[in-house]
Formats: sequence, structure tokens, C-alpha cells
Amino acid sequence: MSNRDTLASEPSKTAGALARHWANEEIVALRPGPGRLQSAWRALSKNKLTLAGCIIALIYILLGLFGPVLAPHDYARQDLMATFLKPGSPGHLLGTDNYGRDILSRLVVAIRVSLSIGFGITAISMIVGTLAGAIAGYYRGWADTIISGIIELTWGFPLILIAVILTGAFGPGLKAIVLAVGLINWAGFARIVRAEVISLREREFVQAAHAIGVSDGRILARHILPNCLAPALVMASNYVALAIIVEAGLSFLGMGAQPPLPSLGTMIAEGKNYMLLDHWVSTIPGVTIVIIVLALNLLGDGLRDILDPRLRRA
Amino acid sequence: MGAYLARRSLRMAVILSFASIAVFYSLRFAPGDPSGVTLNPLAREEVRAAYRRQLGLDKPIYTQYFVYVSNLVQGKLGVSLVNGAEIWDLFKEYGKNSLILGLAAVLVTHIIGIPLGIIAAAKRNSIIDQFATAVGVLGMGIPNFWLAVLLIFLFSSKLHWLPSAGCCEPRHLVMPTIVLAAEGTAVTMRMMRASMLEQISQDFVRTHRAKGLSEWTIIGRRVARAALIPVISVAGLRIGWLIGYTLIVETIFRWPGVGYLLVDAVIRRDYPVAQFFSLLLVFTVVVANLLADLAYGIADPRIRYE
Repeated sequence: MSNRDTLASEPSKTAGALARHWANEEIVALRPGPGRLQSAWRALSKNKLTLAGCIIALIYILLGLFGPVLAPHDYARQDLMATFLKPGSPGHLLGTDNYGRDILSRLVVAIRVSLSIGFGITAISMIVGTLAGAIAGYYRGWADTIISGIIELTWGFPLILIAVILTGAFGPGLKAIVLAVGLINWAGFARIVRAEVISLREREFVQAAHAIGVSDGRILARHILPNCLAPALVMASNYVALAIIVEAGLSFLGMGAQPPLPSLGTMIAEGKNYMLLDHWVSTIPGVTIVIIVLALNLLGDGLRDILDPRLRRA
Repeated sequence: MGAYLARRSLRMAVILSFASIAVFYSLRFAPGDPSGVTLNPLAREEVRAAYRRQLGLDKPIYTQYFVYVSNLVQGKLGVSLVNGAEIWDLFKEYGKNSLILGLAAVLVTHIIGIPLGIIAAAKRNSIIDQFATAVGVLGMGIPNFWLAVLLIFLFSSKLHWLPSAGCCEPRHLVMPTIVLAAEGTAVTMRMMRASMLEQISQDFVRTHRAKGLSEWTIIGRRVARAALIPVISVAGLRIGWLIGYTLIVETIFRWPGVGYLLVDAVIRRDYPVAQFFSLLLVFTVVVANLLADLAYGIADPRIRYE
């Protein structure tokens, strides 16, 4: 991430490459202010796949927020006289499952569970990780030693393994998953923010702010952290997808959301025994999770291209 | 290099001791106690107390921890609470199965992922490239348990080609390997492609072209070699993720490996088994990360260990 200056000073770069490099910098407009948002939006509207990912994610968020309120049925109400109704049956838009529960009503609640875990924990770990990374990178010293140690410990550590071990401690339920994701993911944010801050604190504009007596807190908040936003946002969209997959996977194994609370994972697991005749019980939640994960991945890739032109290649 | 190894090993030992304490305490923290698992629910309180004393659970947790560690060092791993099996025997049998599945998945990941990435980059925007991109996007988007459900439906329920679960013939291995390797293959392919494209625009490629080397020599030997470095650097991380996914994949396909055993032990509250295999997997991840760092240095001689 620190190659911005080396790129400019590298003699082997042609004038054309340099011009393009500066032009890119102009587009991104790394300075804080409305210009950056505007240009990001302009770039987003040009990049169709990213826009699609963004819109799909928004639709899911709306479904998760308002779906359970507007749901036609109680998600837990069983009706053994009306099991395995096909999608499109009167009163049951997406059909019913093996207990005659309305799949649409269950689906929107499951989306709410997924997204609360995905977005909720990612938001918290992004805030904690950014603060930790900023402190470690800006002040260095013993704080950096401790934070870097934790980062190194958790980096590359499988989330699912920790979630399963914590399930052993807390018993099955969402608590273990929330804790596992929270314990691991903040370090990912801390890792990239720390690296950015270390390279940024030597830059001229930070030195200049320091020289005219701007306080450390203000330098971090106004000059350094806004420049760390891009990689953190890209990471966030991937982490949301990861958290959703882990929650669904553990719920699929019966270690996550406990009945009657529906989760995309439990819905797939319950429907998998009826795949041959009544596949929709499983395929509807299955497709639901594939779409949101794909959308978040597209969003992440697109954000990286838009926000960080240094990584945009070919 | 020697000093580096020594320091890394020391740090690894510190990490492992922290991890073992964390695992030990978190499993002791669990609600309910082992006497609820093994004894008759109507068992009298004196019987339960005697059972806990027999397991050493009446002592303070830190004493239990040191007893456990000293037993571990002496090779006394204990027995399962559920069926009385020796944990050492479980380790040999289930460990072997996990190793088979894991190696198969790693092989598939790289044998498919790397060449596909090279071809996709060499024939950019061709049909192969678009196919590879689609495989990459799907491979990263489909959660492995859902892929497993779909494969079981197609190959077991519909076509009757493969058994839906079980062990240990090659035909039992096919679907778990595909599911376990899917995401890794997609990531490896995408990284290889991106890394190749980055290398292709470098000066040394132009030099090779000017020398008149054939395009295949340039792409296949020179560029691919340089492009492999970042792919290798995440291979160790990938092993960590692979171990995580093993828990899900082995459980779905009832492949009797360590992941299946651990999930089962956690659900059944078989603490000695859960404890040992949690530690084993943590240990494997930490060692894999160290090996990845070393492999990185071998692949790229410019990296020096200090």
C-alpha cells in the first residue's frame, strides 16, 4: 500500500504511466469531502456488476428490516394439513415446508438473522479494528507489539474452528458464532489499517499538519483515517459475506440458530431430505444465500476497483 | 535462517500455550458437566460427585490444566466419555482419514487452479478465460454445504453414481474432495490469473520476447514461476481455511475424520475428545502458517529472514 510515492519516483515508469497514475489519483480524489463520494458514485454507476451487487445487497437489507414485519404468516406456526405446498400456492407465495410452515415468512426472518450477524458484527469489528490498527500504526511502541501479536495470532485462523470450540463452551446457539466472528475479524481490519497508517504517517501532508501543531487525535481523524477507508470497506464487504457463510454453515450442522428461529443454514438442512420430490424447501434458502454472497463479492471487487485505482489492473 | 526459525518456533510455542489454555478454560466454562453425559439422569448426587472426583474435576481448573498437560506430554491422552475409546486410537484412525481427504483437496485445488489461472491469463478474454472467471465467481459464491447438498442430490439421488456418505473407498472420496476443494480452486485460479497478468506487463517479459523465446516458454516457465509467489504465500492460509471447512464437509458426508469427530464430540459434550482434537487442529493451523512463511522464502530468494 505504500508504493504510491515509489511509483512516482521510479525512473523506469514512462511519462504516460505517470500521467495516468496522477489522473487516477484525480478520479479517486483521496482528499476528504463531498467530491470523493460523488466521484465514487459516478464510478459505481459506470460499473454495472458492482451496481448490481450494491442494489441486491440493499434489497436484502430492506427485506431483513421490513420483511419480518410484513410477513404473511408466523414463521414458527406449523400446519400439518398443508405441508409441501408448491411455490405459488394461494396464501403461500414460496410454498410451505415439511411442517407446513410458510417459507416466505421463514425466509425473511432468516435473512434478518444472517444480515444482523453479517453486517452487525462486521460493523463493530471494523470500528474496533480501525481504532486498534490506528493506535498500533501511529504510536507504535508497546501498544503496537501487543496488537501486532494478536493480529499475527488470529490471521489465517479458521473462523469455523473457533466457532465450533466456542459452541463447546456455550452450547449450540448464535452466541458462539457472534463471539467467534467478533474475536477474529477485528484483527483483519486492524491489520490493514495499521499498515496504511504506518505508511501515511510519514507522508508530507501528515508531517505538515504535525508541524503546524495539529493534535494527534485530529491528525488521525481528519487526515489519516479517511485515507484508510477504502481498503477497510473492501475488506468489510468480504467479511460480511464470510460471516453469513459461517453462520449458515454452523446452523446447517445444528450448532447455530436453534429452532424455531429460522436461519438459511437450518432451512437448507431441514429441506435436504426432501430434495427429490420437494426441492424448493431447500433450494429457496440455498439460492437466497448464493445470491447475497455473490452480490457482496461483486460489491467488494467493484469497490476495490473504484476506491483504490492502484490495484486496478488491466 | 537458523535464528529466524528458532524465534518463530519460540513464538509458536507461546501461541500454542495460550491457545491450549483458552481451549481448556472455554470447555470447562461450558454449562453442565460430564456426569450429565455419561451417568443415568436419575443418578444420585453422591454418585455424580464420585464420578467428578474420579475424573479429577473437583480440583481447581489450573491444577486440572497442569495434570492434563503433563499427561499429554507422557502420551496419556485419556478416553472418550461417550464410548470409552482410547483417544490415541481415535487420533490414528480419524487422523489418517482427514489427511487423505485434506491432501486430495489440496492436490485438486492446485492441479486445477494453477493451470486454469495460467491459461486464463495467457488467453485473456477468450472463452476459456470467461469460463474460468465464471467458475471462480461461482466457486467463491456457493457455500460448501449447499454445494454438498446439490452434489448429493445430483450424483446420489438422481444418477445413483456415487454414495451420498461413508468411507473409505475412492468413490466415497469424490464428492467430499470436490466440495472441500471448490472454494480453494476458485481463489487459487483467480489469484494465479491476476498475478500472471501483473507479471506479463513487466520488463523481463519484453526482454524474453526480444530474445526470441517462444511464447509458451515465456508464459509457462518464466512468467508462471514469478507469478506463483503470491499464490504460494496464501497456500498456508488456505490450509487454515481448509481445516475449518473440513469440520462442515466431513460432517455432511459422514467422512470419519478429525473434523467429523470434533463436531460430534462438541454436540455430545464429549470433553476429552473435543479438547484434544481442538488442540490438534489449532496446532496444525499454526504449523501450517509457519511452513507457509518458509515456503514463501524458498519460492522467492529475494526474501531474507532476519
